[in-house]
Amino acid sequence: MSKVWIIFEREYLQRVLKKSFILSTLLTPMIFPLFIFIAVLLIESDEQEIRRIPVLDNSGLIEDSVSFGNNSMYPSNSDINSLQEDVLNGKIYGVLVIPDIDIYKPDAINFYSKNVPSGDFVNDVENIIENKIKDRKIKDLKIEKSSLDKLETRIDMDTYSVEETSNSDGSEMGVNKSSSTLAFGLGYFNGFLIYMFVFIYGSFILQSVLDEKTSKVVEVIVSSVKPIQLMMGKVLGVGAVAFTQISIWIILGFSISTLTSLYFGIDTIDSSQIPVNQEEISQSKEMVAGFYELFSSIDVYKIIFIFLIYFTGGFFLYGAFFAAIGSAVDNLQDASQFTLPISLPIIASLMFMSVILENPESNASIFLSMFPFTSPILMMARLPFGVPDWQLLLSILLLLVFVLFALWFAGRIYRVGILTSGSKITYKLLWKWFVMKNY
Amino acid sequence: MLSVKNISKSYVGHKALDNISIDIKKSSIFGLLGPNGAGKTSLIRIINQIINQDNGEIYLNGRPINYNDVRKIGYMPEERGLYKKMKVGDFLLFMGKLKGLNRNHCIDSAKHWFENLDVSNWWNKNIEDLSKGMSQKVQFISTVLHDPDLIILDEPFSGFDPVNANLVKSNLMRLKDEGKTIIFSTHRMESVDELCDQLAMINNSRKILDGDTEQIKMKYKSDNYLIVHDKKLKKDPTYSIVKTDKVSEGIYESEVDLMNKKSYKNLFKVISDYTQIISFKEKIPNMNDIFIMKVKEGGRDE
Repeated sequence: MSKVWIIFEREYLQRVLKKSFILSTLLTPMIFPLFIFIAVLLIESDEQEIRRIPVLDNSGLIEDSVSFGNNSMYPSNSDINSLQEDVLNGKIYGVLVIPDIDIYKPDAINFYSKNVPSGDFVNDVENIIENKIKDRKIKDLKIEKSSLDKLETRIDMDTYSVEETSNSDGSEMGVNKSSSTLAFGLGYFNGFLIYMFVFIYGSFILQSVLDEKTSKVVEVIVSSVKPIQLMMGKVLGVGAVAFTQISIWIILGFSISTLTSLYFGIDTIDSSQIPVNQEEISQSKEMVAGFYELFSSIDVYKIIFIFLIYFTGGFFLYGAFFAAIGSAVDNLQDASQFTLPISLPIIASLMFMSVILENPESNASIFLSMFPFTSPILMMARLPFGVPDWQLLLSILLLLVFVLFALWFAGRIYRVGILTSGSKITYKLLWKWFVMKNY
Repeated sequence: MLSVKNISKSYVGHKALDNISIDIKKSSIFGLLGPNGAGKTSLIRIINQIINQDNGEIYLNGRPINYNDVRKIGYMPEERGLYKKMKVGDFLLFMGKLKGLNRNHCIDSAKHWFENLDVSNWWNKNIEDLSKGMSQKVQFISTVLHDPDLIILDEPFSGFDPVNANLVKSNLMRLKDEGKTIIFSTHRMESVDELCDQLAMINNSRKILDGDTEQIKMKYKSDNYLIVHDKKLKKDPTYSIVKTDKVSEGIYESEVDLMNKKSYKNLFKVISDYTQIISFKEKIPNMNDIFIMKVKEGGRDE
């Protein structure tokens, strides 16, 4: 055991003390907000330019210019040929042609532009025209506008999750405000995080094993350490690095969220002194408060705890296979033919994620969140929607069994692989190594 | 000290070792010879328990070798390398720890070996900055760092220039004098004559020769004599002249084969009658000759 520790120690310290690790750990959490920031900037810079859209209206629907987003529609009498030229010159964005339509049986309206307009744009224009037609119908049918407004109804549904409370009488059922949007987001985020880590750190293991093999240092090491000890030390070492990184991120996340809540808490007091922004601030305060209320509905600690279990399990399951591949091949190019089948379930998990998130309690979801090759990602996606304890336990148990099996399997390939180079690796050969008794 | 008894080993598709037995005395240098692919590395890996044999036993000091014994062996494999991204000191510490040394012991021992191998203190050097010869030295140091009683070196002189190879040789001799047992494998015979007390030759997975180096040489000598003389040799029924080379004006070197197990005294007498003998010595085959002869013989067997 102490030898595994020595291998582990070297592997861990070598990686954690690297500048690239420290930088990526500290910078990655900032990169995402940075991306969002840049995206917002870009969108805002877009809006400064108004796109002009003349309308050749044969039905008299557009009487004044209408603005939506960064577009401006205005009625025009120019002939279609000169407008076509303007479209090509970029003077105008496009031309909307409304034929003379029957409001009860409207024909399609036509839009001519150089570039294909976005779906949002098409929807917006359609909505505007539909509303114009609706207004005309109201007039035509002589309906009172005010009574029509009374017909407009808008209902928001708040969702609550029912839980057994730990109240003293114990009989009462408690409810918590829940949010399917939040569950969706959280599920996606957690699943994606595991996906990312399994891939990145799995390939670290592969690389590390392969480096030892190609630099020939491995035989020196296995004269003092059993191959399985070397492999375990390595997988544990790289795993601990991943664990360190995710822990730092969780801690960073917590401190940032605590800081923001403190910030908004303080701001409410200040806002009384600055009446100009009060409305704006109280609005954002309300939003943040609502966000925190929702978050408190979820047992964050439970999710983090289970996340770490699946994180570790998924990492070991795939890490073992990556280690076996690294030991068998002679270079990275050869590795790709074996990493592909191993990566398939991970990639498939990501694709199945939308199925799970749409329908977290379907049979497919239950099966996929049990199956060990997909459960680390997909159980995490399902978790925020609520999973029965027995399913969670069974899934973890299955994962554990498969992890042990994978490590055993990989160990048998590894012991032969690290000392064999120059042979063409096929699945048949790997199988022979696996069943080989005396090596 | 170390006995290998009836070891056999097969890989997928071919036989690497066929019923090999050897005995190695304590405080000696043992040479394991053979052409490439003969099975030397497999045998060494089996002794180190890196791979398992199919049949046979290895005994150390009279009892079957176990994993704790193996850990004490100083083993330098043929396929050797270092972690490029580490510092020399960190690597030696890592290797020392794997062999069960504590930190201080490691540092002392490394310093001692830095001196022995004529290198300045490389403790803080990056391994990737070392030249090939330098990294071979670091490799050697990592092998003997823990003061092993049994040292096994697979092709130890590949990668060393002649000066450093001699440095390593003299260190091996010194280790032998200190009572260590050294096994090394090689396919280059020149290192064998001067170093090995005992040897075994392996070809095509079988042992074809083993024993004491001097005895083997005696056994394979062919009653040939090398004579340096000043007049041309005459033909005689007691010997045949294998070849004569002119060394310089009036000085010749001849190789002579004695017929019918006659004594060299007779040869000396016959020749010295008409020519002055400058030197007269028996031709002792070197290991290279024996090796080539035995390998060719083995080839004929197949």
